[in-house]
Amino acid sequence: MGAKYNQSGSLISTQIGHHKEAISYSLRRLWQSNLSTWITLAVIGIALCLPSSLYLLLQNLKSLTDDKREVPTISLFIKQNISEQQARDRGDLIQELSQIDKVVLVPRDEALEDFRKITGFAETLETLDENPLPHVLVVTPHIDLIANPTDDMQKLADKLESYPEIDLVQMDLEWVSRLRSILRISERAIFIISGLLALTVLLVIGNTIKLNIENRKEEIEVSKLIGASASYIRRPFLYTGIWYGLFGGVISLVLVHLALISFVAPVNELAKLYGSTFIISGLSLSTTLYILLASSALGLIGAWIAVGRHLRDASIAS
Amino acid sequence: MIEFNTVSKQYPTGQLALYNVNVELQQGEMAFLTGHSGAGKSTLLKLIALLDTPSAGEVIVAGQNTQKIKLRKIPAFRRNIGMIFQDHHLLADRTVFDNIALPLKIEGMRPQDINRRVRAALDKVNLLSKEKQYPQMLSAGEKQRIGIARAVVNKPAIILADEPTGNLDPDLATDIMHTFKQFNDYGSTVLIASHDHALIKEMKKRIIVLRKVKT
Repeated sequence: MGAKYNQSGSLISTQIGHHKEAISYSLRRLWQSNLSTWITLAVIGIALCLPSSLYLLLQNLKSLTDDKREVPTISLFIKQNISEQQARDRGDLIQELSQIDKVVLVPRDEALEDFRKITGFAETLETLDENPLPHVLVVTPHIDLIANPTDDMQKLADKLESYPEIDLVQMDLEWVSRLRSILRISERAIFIISGLLALTVLLVIGNTIKLNIENRKEEIEVSKLIGASASYIRRPFLYTGIWYGLFGGVISLVLVHLALISFVAPVNELAKLYGSTFIISGLSLSTTLYILLASSALGLIGAWIAVGRHLRDASIAS
Repeated sequence: MIEFNTVSKQYPTGQLALYNVNVELQQGEMAFLTGHSGAGKSTLLKLIALLDTPSAGEVIVAGQNTQKIKLRKIPAFRRNIGMIFQDHHLLADRTVFDNIALPLKIEGMRPQDINRRVRAALDKVNLLSKEKQYPQMLSAGEKQRIGIARAVVNKPAIILADEPTGNLDPDLATDIMHTFKQFNDYGSTVLIASHDHALIKEMKKRIIVLRKVKT
């Protein structure tokens, strides 16, 4: 009897027709389905929203330490017996070092003047015979040295401390380094948590699709009897998996944004107390798309595994 | 059109369903397959539709040795065979129209062609008025005729039916058999397994008898 020609024209338009059919069919099934589908979607959404929100928290903490306007500095306190000119010379020498971005000398008189203005201790300071403040060199290291603090940081501090004019090295950037290392550990933790939750989503979707297949066993058998190809039978289940992932991803984004909105006001208040202009940042468009893509991919993979395992079980004797 | 050469079928359980079967059906022929229950009628039909493979011998359908058809090509092969079962195998959650449209959708036919072909098939089994109903709203005879409409909607070269009248009262059974004869008149090769001797004698077509294998 040979190949039969159908009236649909080319193979490609047949394929497109099959995909359209599978998409509308799987969406209709999802829409008509019961409460358990919504619970499954909620589970996927919550599972996906945890890594997203942790990632967001991390991004915000990072942006806090990246803030160029508040580049952390090293303060070098000059010994009392060193003159302003000697201090300036030392500052110029330090400026030559490769790790250093900028050196500013704050002479003791200027420092006293500032201190008077800021603190309102003017009268108390009047009672002192001489200026108790030392000259200070405010050193700004290069940003990449702060961004990747290693032993180099400590070496720089030791080197600065070894100069004869220097009395004391005070690093304002220690907290940055510490926070950075904590963030790096957190990043790894988030990575692991994300992996485990992705696995959870995979299992949930896989199991849902498996139940789906069991519910549609009769339909699968009949389709096979009347000559449906394996890919024709597989397709609606794979799309169902994609929808579970995609809609779960959408739910997770909604949850993350709701949480974010509740954070904006208190974070702004806190930032104001610290005199910072920090503003909490949301998920960028690319991150949003990435999350949706990743969740859809998880759905597809979960469905693929379930379909691979269970469609064979459901197959008729051959 | 259909040729069995020294075909035997033994199931993994050891049960011998067919032994040394030699039979040939010409293109456009209509025949009845009969024999005691357990004589292997269903098995023989399954071998034609590649729902099972013979243990020995060869089954040739439309000039093709069925054992040489690649797994990937089996669905396309089955689309040339319309199968009808004793239990109609209709999908309960789809309308009569959607049930009959299924083979055409699988072939990837355009919706307007599907509409036309489904209506034509429904017209042939005299159930055009039921297209929007669901299978559970139909009587047993109507369900069986919908099953036939689905089997013939894509104009298969071969129609196989396994006890199609098993659940029906005699009037309905005769009606169904005449429907098959009608499709045979249109040119399809038809093979019907049935143990209703009175009915198949009445049809005046070739009768193939399977004798139970002596064990």
